[in-house]
Amino acid sequence: MKIEGKYKFLASQEHIWDLFMDQKNLEKAIPGCEKMEEREPGKYDVLLKIGIAAIKGTYTGKVEVVDPEPPNRYRLLGEGSGSPGFVKGEATIEFSQEGQHTIVSYQGDMQVGGLIAGIGQRMIGGIAKMMAGQFFKKMAKQLKS
Amino acid sequence: MPEQLKTFEHKKRNWVGKPLKRKEDLRLLTGRGTFMDDIRLPDMKHAAILRSPYPHAWIKGINVSEALNFPGVRGILTGEDVAKMSNPFPVGVPVPPKYYCCAIDKVRFVGEPVAVVVADDRYVAEDALDLITVDYEPLPVVMDIEEAMSPEAPVLHDNIGSNIYSQRFFQYGDMEKAYKEADLVVKGKFHFPKYGSTPIETYAVIASYNPFSEDFVIYNNYQGPFVNHSLVAIALGIPENKMRWIVPTDIGGGFGTKTGLYPYIALIALAAKKTGMTVKWIEDRREHLLASATATDRVTYMEAAVKKDGTILGLKDKAIDNTGGYIRAPEPGCAYRSTGNHTGGYQIRNLDREVLVVGTNKCLTAPSRGYTCQELYFSLERMIDLVASELGMDTAAIRFKNFIQTDQFPYTTPTGGIYDAGDYQKVFQMALDKIDYKKMREEQRNAREEGRLMGIGFSTVVDPSVTNIAYVTLALTPEQRAKGHPKSGSGEAVIIKMDPLGKVHVIACTNPQGQGHDTVISQIVADELGVHPDDVTVSNVVDTHDRLFSITTGSYSSRFASVVTTAVVTAARRLKDKMLKIAAHLLEANVEELEIQEGKIYVKGSPDKSMQVRHVAGTAHWNQAALPEGMDAGLYETCLYTMPTSQPPDELDRVNSSNTYGFMAEAIVVEVDPETGEVKILKWASVHDAGTILNPALLEGQVMGSCAHGLGGSLYEEWAYDENGQCITASFQDYLVPTAMEVPKIDIGHVEIPSPFTALGSKGAGESSCMSVPACIGNAIADALAPLGVIINELPLSPNKIWHLIQKAKKKG
Repeated sequence: MKIEGKYKFLASQEHIWDLFMDQKNLEKAIPGCEKMEEREPGKYDVLLKIGIAAIKGTYTGKVEVVDPEPPNRYRLLGEGSGSPGFVKGEATIEFSQEGQHTIVSYQGDMQVGGLIAGIGQRMIGGIAKMMAGQFFKKMAKQLKS
Repeated sequence: MPEQLKTFEHKKRNWVGKPLKRKEDLRLLTGRGTFMDDIRLPDMKHAAILRSPYPHAWIKGINVSEALNFPGVRGILTGEDVAKMSNPFPVGVPVPPKYYCCAIDKVRFVGEPVAVVVADDRYVAEDALDLITVDYEPLPVVMDIEEAMSPEAPVLHDNIGSNIYSQRFFQYGDMEKAYKEADLVVKGKFHFPKYGSTPIETYAVIASYNPFSEDFVIYNNYQGPFVNHSLVAIALGIPENKMRWIVPTDIGGGFGTKTGLYPYIALIALAAKKTGMTVKWIEDRREHLLASATATDRVTYMEAAVKKDGTILGLKDKAIDNTGGYIRAPEPGCAYRSTGNHTGGYQIRNLDREVLVVGTNKCLTAPSRGYTCQELYFSLERMIDLVASELGMDTAAIRFKNFIQTDQFPYTTPTGGIYDAGDYQKVFQMALDKIDYKKMREEQRNAREEGRLMGIGFSTVVDPSVTNIAYVTLALTPEQRAKGHPKSGSGEAVIIKMDPLGKVHVIACTNPQGQGHDTVISQIVADELGVHPDDVTVSNVVDTHDRLFSITTGSYSSRFASVVTTAVVTAARRLKDKMLKIAAHLLEANVEELEIQEGKIYVKGSPDKSMQVRHVAGTAHWNQAALPEGMDAGLYETCLYTMPTSQPPDELDRVNSSNTYGFMAEAIVVEVDPETGEVKILKWASVHDAGTILNPALLEGQVMGSCAHGLGGSLYEEWAYDENGQCITASFQDYLVPTAMEVPKIDIGHVEIPSPFTALGSKGAGESSCMSVPACIGNAIADALAPLGVIINELPLSPNKIWHLIQKAKKKG
């Protein structure tokens, strides 16, 4: 399914790019992220504990940053699986300056399978949006500190 | 066809035909029923099944080491074990896929079993599932029926090389001549969705294996044993007498889907054999909605060659059925089961058929809700309306024009079906009268002037009951059949016994799933033997060691009302004959002079020359020397009855695929809201000819249930998959089953046209309206939306779908 959205940060585009490239920030901001380890530059192993459609579970996965074009855009590839099923997706993250603000917009495609697909299909779009919102809020918090 | 069709004379009855309260209800309502989950065996362990989250993938490896070490886990069965311990299930197609009870090297639908954990309780087993890691290599999926046939489509089974499991061509009559003589050819394409029957009680198996006697005991809630006891024995590599199937007294619904239970019977049996434990598995609802069984989804192309006056000269159709990731018995029956009644209730003499059975990455199929007839009649009855529309003819008139006439019965269809009896005109007229048809057309005219979308729909269909298993061999050509062994029959076995005090016990094997068979059996026996229904008890569930059964035994295709009742009557009459012979011997009278009534056997004309039934019974058991010379002691009789009309197909591919043929006429009036696409049912008449009515209260329940099923299939139910092969209706949140709120008031009517082929004249009724209603509602909605130019050729007709169809038509027009 298609996912997209955007978020406004009060900071310069370069600052936001650096924020997003810092693994420590990502680890804190990704909902349910318990562990994030860089295997190779730009490739991360993650451990997530999240509830999707009221189904809580542990997911192990990989996230990869590809085609980075600092400070404007990069692509993110991710996949994770756990007992509740699997998730696979890719998104393009774009940064643009608007006066004092930086707009971060994302556009992507997500596939789910297994238990969560069968039970919560209609909710997944909304849940993805909600989790993206949580992520951006947490990133914004880290901007302040 | 048999030289002389065996017919019965019917007489007036005391108990059959009365709305006797059900014997089953007392135990069910007080919680004293015995269902699978009520069975507790010593040291019983519990199984949980790991299922594939991928629709199509190689299994590169399974790691169960962590799960095996989890406290409480007793053992784990994987595909590797299954491949070593069992054979693929046999299935009646020329090149079968290798279908085991568990995925071996590849998964082909979401939910396919990949491993089984056996543990001390279900909680532990489920937790252990989380610790199993499977390395999947996903493959591209194929979900669309027609795309599955293209050479570019991903192939599910390398040993077959394509996704086509079965394909045949049939020609009956002379379609070329029909085309030549036709004034018009009307064409249609129809898509019937995949949906199941979601019985309240899911699948359940309790299996144990004795390594010393090398045999299995398997409790289950299967509707059979049908052919599948034999198939599981072959899969497990054992003779049939080394596998005992036992069914508890009560099953919570089946509707055909429990004939798809047998792979799990094998799976849990193997888990029991590997672990040395007694293993219980109760399917949960999510598992059921992913990987139990549904009817096939089907694409149909149909052409009708017609004359201006509405006469349908011939049909040509191509039907493509989808059985999912594998094909399993009794498929490819989906393509052949309805052969005898393919032309419905009409005098259509020419037919060309192409049938294809294909596979996609969806879950597997079983007979469900009138096995193939929902799909057939949706196409046929929509077609009748399309023809009427092209000719500017009234949709009721065109049906009357083409119906088989009452003086034509028994009627042989061009495809070999022998319709026993019917009065289609009377049944349809009753439905028309019930909705006040003329008035409805007037109201529709007014409604259209006001811009309201009101529609009237009909469907008039033949209900084919009592499967003749010969139909499965139509998957082979006549030449292939000639080389092999023919198949035929519809047999059912009944034992009837009378104890020394004159009470009766009947033993049958119909495995009822809520139909109330025991009550009807008591009524029949009471009539035959002059006892009271309360004097009759019934055991009616399968025990393959202790009960008489054959490969046709079970409850499916509404066979109880026809073949089982005839077997009960026959066995009861044999018992009655014996009783009369004993009484004649003891009274020193002639057998022909004797009569039984209300517990007494007496000489007609001299009622004081009599004896009590229980004295006859007492003598048969207690004073065996007093019996006539050469007579067996005791009072037991059996009957394993197969209907003589169940013959193998002939060399022209004609077969009487069923044995009794009832008839339904549905008439439904709807209004569609153009803003929301919602459908409101204004009137609904459902008229049935099920032959002699055995118990009107039971029949009412059957009709209401089948109507609710039909409504579900028309507007609500769909077993849906997304384009990636994920099942998106794995809970009742998304798989919509009608509730009491959705089912409107239905005006039910009955016409009794007894079948001459059954002892009581009864035909089947259980599946009836689930076959006719989807077509009827489709027709009603098509009629409502006709002014907008909307074409209706698929189901379910959800508000969302209707709304989009209306928008699409608006854009065009």
